Amino acid sequence: MERLERTALLFELAKQLHEKGSWCGETHLQKAAYWAEELRSLPLGFQFILYKHGPFSFDLRDELTSMRADGLLELSPNTQPYGPTLRPSDRGDILLKRYRDILAQFADTITRAANELANKNVSELERLTTALYVTKREMPQDTAEKRAERIRQIKPHIPFDKALQAIDAVDRVISDR
Amino acid sequence: MAKSFHEIRDPIHVFVRLDSEERRVLDSRPFQRLRSIHQLALTYLVYPGATHKRFEHSLGVMELAGRVYDVVTDANNIERSIEDILPNEGHMRHYWRQVLRMAALCHDIGHLPFSHGAEKELLPAGWNHERLTWDLIFCPEMAGYWQEMKVQALDIAKLAVGPKKAAEFDTKVTFTAWEAILSEIIVGDAFGVDRMDYLLRDSYHAGVTYGRFDHYRLIDTLRILPAPPSDTAESTNEPALGVDIGGIQSSEALLLARYLMYSQMYMHHVRRIYDKHLQDFLSAWLPDGKFPTDVDSHLALTDNEVTAAMLTALRSKKAGEDPLSPLAKRVLCRSHFRLLYARSPDDVKINPESGEALYKAAQKEFPSDLIRHDRYSQKGGSPDFPVRMHDGRIVSSISLSDTLARLPVVSTDYIFADKQILSKADAWLQSSKAAIISEGGE
Repeated sequence: MERLERTALLFELAKQLHEKGSWCGETHLQKAAYWAEELRSLPLGFQFILYKHGPFSFDLRDELTSMRADGLLELSPNTQPYGPTLRPSDRGDILLKRYRDILAQFADTITRAANELANKNVSELERLTTALYVTKREMPQDTAEKRAERIRQIKPHIPFDKALQAIDAVDRVISDR
Repeated sequence: MAKSFHEIRDPIHVFVRLDSEERRVLDSRPFQRLRSIHQLALTYLVYPGATHKRFEHSLGVMELAGRVYDVVTDANNIERSIEDILPNEGHMRHYWRQVLRMAALCHDIGHLPFSHGAEKELLPAGWNHERLTWDLIFCPEMAGYWQEMKVQALDIAKLAVGPKKAAEFDTKVTFTAWEAILSEIIVGDAFGVDRMDYLLRDSYHAGVTYGRFDHYRLIDTLRILPAPPSDTAESTNEPALGVDIGGIQSSEALLLARYLMYSQMYMHHVRRIYDKHLQDFLSAWLPDGKFPTDVDSHLALTDNEVTAAMLTALRSKKAGEDPLSPLAKRVLCRSHFRLLYARSPDDVKINPESGEALYKAAQKEFPSDLIRHDRYSQKGGSPDFPVRMHDGRIVSSISLSDTLARLPVVSTDYIFADKQILSKADAWLQSSKAAIISEGGE
């Protein structure tokens, strides 16, 4: 996939998250992209590791900065003490037009991911995507309790009951696919 | 009596201090090699003063890493909500200080001749200078020093290359919150001392003042803080490097210095085309067109060997028949390609990859070996970091500083052409540009 095709998919994801009420900061986009790639097979091709607030891609961070350089996303400050929003700009319409075929191919995938995550805050996104990472990449055969323990190990600030809820939610989504 | 502490004079930090164990690492083959690797590749062909080497930069990074460590672990500076991540025992605080300084000292030992100039294209797939750094830290020679110092090579390697690269080299490697912070002290996006040192040092040697900022004030105000809330949810208390409010202007100055250094010096178009010419020469000169990746061969190759090879090719009696000769001439005789196109904001509005579209079209119009394309976009995230206010609240830097919120992102897109086709290529560009860019944009 060439760079701008991927940029177009990412732009559409950001746009839908924004329209559906997401805060749409970098962390929201990181987690939504991971969710869409891992669970919904959106072919973004970013490499994720466990880092800030769970699954994190340094390549995706660079791509978001590139999109700011190209005027596709705008860094929009929020009132103190909150972090900024990445707001999709009108310039992205060129991409949406140019890559309409590939966007049409993945329209359902993007919409589904955006619907699932747009109303989630960073704490919820951290729990859900870390649970997804542990379930898909580290311990696919283990019980929910063992996976919740693993989340606690990675992110000690997440209480066990919330980790277990996140694992259950992820298991439900995977079985509904 | 033998000295146990040593001082090295430095134009940026006045003195760099190190103990006898650290000096043995300094005297090692991998580190001494950095005396022969230019910090800024062939930038000295544009900015004649920029002849400094990775050697003194690495010393500076070690010095600054130690200073930052002492500030952020000072009992008076520790934010209570994240103090659990710090090691409790005094000896562990000392251990990690030593690991951090050694990681800072060694973070560049894997650099190829002429640093970043043409790194990606000239290494086998999956290799980069960080992987060479990683391998060198584990090599038998260095392992002996780590053993004497009673530090783990893996701890040093992790901090030296950071979480992204470490995960590429060893998928089992993970970072604790504490290790992530220490790595951020060296290679971090906002306050990494690697960047602090190279901005100060490069601007000093190149003779440009816009790379300077008040690093004394900035370092004094650095703190490990919980990340500011990203939205209306409660903060997850994930730690990050940030500043006390008194350091916000120094932070702005650092990030402005980065913007100005990148946009004016690092991305200077002549400097960029020299990287391409160097890459062309190396591709033709190196066996199979790639740098070796084994430790001994890596250590045997510096800027000196490459420069000697270029001179030999240029002065050869059979220069007319030697395919290396014209490639060496591009670099040594200043017969570099000239700038044909640089992207403008108006072009980007129509097509974000306007340079790529024009380059592809130009290749059909002119001999492809007479045209080059160079694209760069800034790496890293937005300048969003935690700031501790006078009343103890933690806020996002972007919510506080208009300067940071409006800081431009550096992005360049150049096409170069050989002097012999420049005027023809320029006429072609003027007549075809609009159509080519819009065709690629629609």
